[in-house]
Amino acid sequence: MKRFYDSEIETFRSHLIKMGESAIRQVNDSIKALVEADVGLADRVIAADDELDQWEITIDEEAIRYMNMRAPVASDLRLVIVGMKASHDLERVGDEATGIAKRAVRLAAEVPFKPYIDIPRMAAIAVEMLRDALDCFLNGDEQKAAEIILRDAEVDALNKQLYRELTSFMIEQPGTISRAIELMFISKSLERIADHATNIAEEMIYLAKGKDVRHRPALKKPDGN
Amino acid sequence: MSTSTIPHIFSKKTTLATRIEQAIFWCFRTATYVVLICGASVFLTIIYRGAPTIFKTEAPFINTTFFTEAPETLYVFEFEGEKREMGDREFRAFKEIHPAAAKVPASSYVYSAGGIWPAIVGTVLLVIGSMTIALVLGVSAAVYLSEYARDGAFIRFVRLAILNLAGVPSIVFGLFGFGLFVTFFGWNVSLIAGWFTLAFMVLPVVITASEESLKAVPRGFREGSLALGATHWQTIRKNVMPYALPGILTSSILGIARVAGETAPIMFTAAYVIRDKLPWEDLMHATDFFFQGVMALPYHIYVVSSKIPQNEFTERVQYGAAFVFLLIVALIATASIVLRNRLRNRYKW
Amino acid sequence: MVTTEIPMATRSTVNSPPSTDPRPQPREVAEPAGATLIDIDHLDFFYGENQALFDVNLKIEEKKVTALIGPSGCGKSTLLRCLNRMNDLIEGTQIKQGTIKIRGVDIYGADVDAIELRKRVGMVFQKSNPFPKSIYENITYGLRLQGVKSKSRLDEVVEKSLRGAALWNEVKDRLHASGLGLSGGQQQRLCIARAIAVEPDVILMDEPCSALDPISTSKVEELIHELKEQFTIIIVTHNMQQAARCSDKTAFFYMGKLIEFADTQTIFMNPGHAQTEAYVSGRFG
Repeated sequence: MKRFYDSEIETFRSHLIKMGESAIRQVNDSIKALVEADVGLADRVIAADDELDQWEITIDEEAIRYMNMRAPVASDLRLVIVGMKASHDLERVGDEATGIAKRAVRLAAEVPFKPYIDIPRMAAIAVEMLRDALDCFLNGDEQKAAEIILRDAEVDALNKQLYRELTSFMIEQPGTISRAIELMFISKSLERIADHATNIAEEMIYLAKGKDVRHRPALKKPDGN
Repeated sequence: MSTSTIPHIFSKKTTLATRIEQAIFWCFRTATYVVLICGASVFLTIIYRGAPTIFKTEAPFINTTFFTEAPETLYVFEFEGEKREMGDREFRAFKEIHPAAAKVPASSYVYSAGGIWPAIVGTVLLVIGSMTIALVLGVSAAVYLSEYARDGAFIRFVRLAILNLAGVPSIVFGLFGFGLFVTFFGWNVSLIAGWFTLAFMVLPVVITASEESLKAVPRGFREGSLALGATHWQTIRKNVMPYALPGILTSSILGIARVAGETAPIMFTAAYVIRDKLPWEDLMHATDFFFQGVMALPYHIYVVSSKIPQNEFTERVQYGAAFVFLLIVALIATASIVLRNRLRNRYKW
Repeated sequence: MVTTEIPMATRSTVNSPPSTDPRPQPREVAEPAGATLIDIDHLDFFYGENQALFDVNLKIEEKKVTALIGPSGCGKSTLLRCLNRMNDLIEGTQIKQGTIKIRGVDIYGADVDAIELRKRVGMVFQKSNPFPKSIYENITYGLRLQGVKSKSRLDEVVEKSLRGAALWNEVKDRLHASGLGLSGGQQQRLCIARAIAVEPDVILMDEPCSALDPISTSKVEELIHELKEQFTIIIVTHNMQQAARCSDKTAFFYMGKLIEFADTQTIFMNPGHAQTEAYVSGRFG
């Protein structure tokens, strides 16, 4: 039976989706700005972080209002709580993307000392994880969410590998240290973005099934990351 | 079915309480049966003793003369070796045919022949009139008391007065009626005096029962009606009275039985020992109908039982009249019950 | 600056696209303040010698739902019954001070006919009280009192009221069956239909859902949400979630005094008084 305030929940969901798409766009744009040394794009990414911050405030406000006025239970309550947490994760993703953009601006001024292969690859996986997490939100696919959590290990591995590469670069060619450090930070950001995507996936499992799957080592790669 | 005698937590036990319950149950049962037996014996006696007067062995099986003729004197005499019983008119006609019979000694018994038709008519008229007055007055008073009156010392006094009225002996009502209606108002012994006297006698029952019926109608009906902008009277008329009617009619059934059977109130106010004319005969003006006395069944039974010497012939009339009386009350009561049930179905709540 | 409103609750339809502006829109500006329909001013109400309402000041807005909440015996039902002078039926009640004005007219004035007042201020009771007549007769009762006899008009009103009460589809085939044959929730909706048939300005509801099961309750709440476009509704309720769901403004009473009166959202999210906060969070007593 339809309740007269059902539209509020629909609006809330749509806001979450919009915020997610905004975050994905930010990550894609920031990596593009890095790879193509596009300072203009990077600046736009930095400016657009405001939007994501506003979304977080809006979503939190809506969630609190809904909990106060409609006293939700069961899946409605899980949705509202998950929404609040996911919005926080997405806002952090936005902050990371902004950080990447800022470093892209600095790196654009200099010559890249190695082609960008790993970083775009990590970014692609991270973005794919984010997108899949949003998909899970739309269709409650617990399986897919579990797969996202496993893919986090891939990103972690890539990150480690990039660290080793960059470290050897820095040792061999001390002139590349400042650039390499920026790249390490960017890699770290991408790894964090993947972590946030994992968090969102865990939250989506909770939303769909009411099961809290956080902090379960069995779900991650056996090497304990 | 298991016949286990192993005691468990719900086993039946004979305790003092259960024994007392059994004893009380038997007391109540016995009391009911005693009432039943008494009532039955009264009815059966009347039916048994009255039946010979009412029913005949030949067609049409009912002694129609009893129902349709006025009381006459009975003449018992021997003629040509036969014992004969004849009513007054028959005797006169007989004497015309057999002049010799005039010289035969005949014992006469008043009121032992003929029928009780005028008495039946009178009782029915008295019941209808007095119940009408009682219902009109009583229901109006009940509506006022339960719906309009504000509680106060005066209203409490009125209620007390009504209750006391219920305990007044019927002979006192008769004297009251005589003093007020017959003498003071100058109505003389008449139907109308009887009506009012009987009505006042049965008024407390009607008022109390009507008030109870009105109170039984849920408050929600009144509130709902008032909240829609109805006046107090509109609410009562449309939403309270129809649903209180079955209860009011029940009280009227009780009233009818009482009104029909009381002798004392009508003795001085409405009843004649014997009256030749029926109430609608020989009226000079239409209003004379109300200002004439009538015969009444209970009074007739009284007259036949105590005012004249008793013998086997008077006994016949007494029991026959009592039987008829029961029939009439039963008929009127049944009609009331049928009407009440119809109303109950129509105004179900 | 034009504020685009994020569609929420009362104003949205399912199909209107949500706004793309992420900034939270202030809700207070979106709902325009209504005209005052009922003005309660310094009201003191007594049951005989006992004072039930102390200096109540309240302005009820037109075409809004106002909820009166508070613990038992705090005077909310008393105030409700003052508004259509149903308290006149109880002996010994009186207003010793203060006025209640509806559309500027003091309803306890000497020239005011309580019968006329009740035609404009209808009431739905806690325990549903459909008359033991047919559904049709129940609804036309109020109109017949006013002398309306035309069958076509009565038929029209019956259908309109039953539709308005979301009951038409359930009973349209048995309009002449007894009103008592309906379920509890349907009976209460019948009472609501009966009240709106006379087209009052205000509908007073005294705990209309307290005797109903959850599904009937939510149907009635949905109904209240629809009715407020036509009628001003004042609802007394013990159920705080109901007040939060249904009402636009809420007044909190305690021991005969009005403690706080504000937008429902404010009362439940950020009440001004500690007592209000204690009551809505269930810490009372």
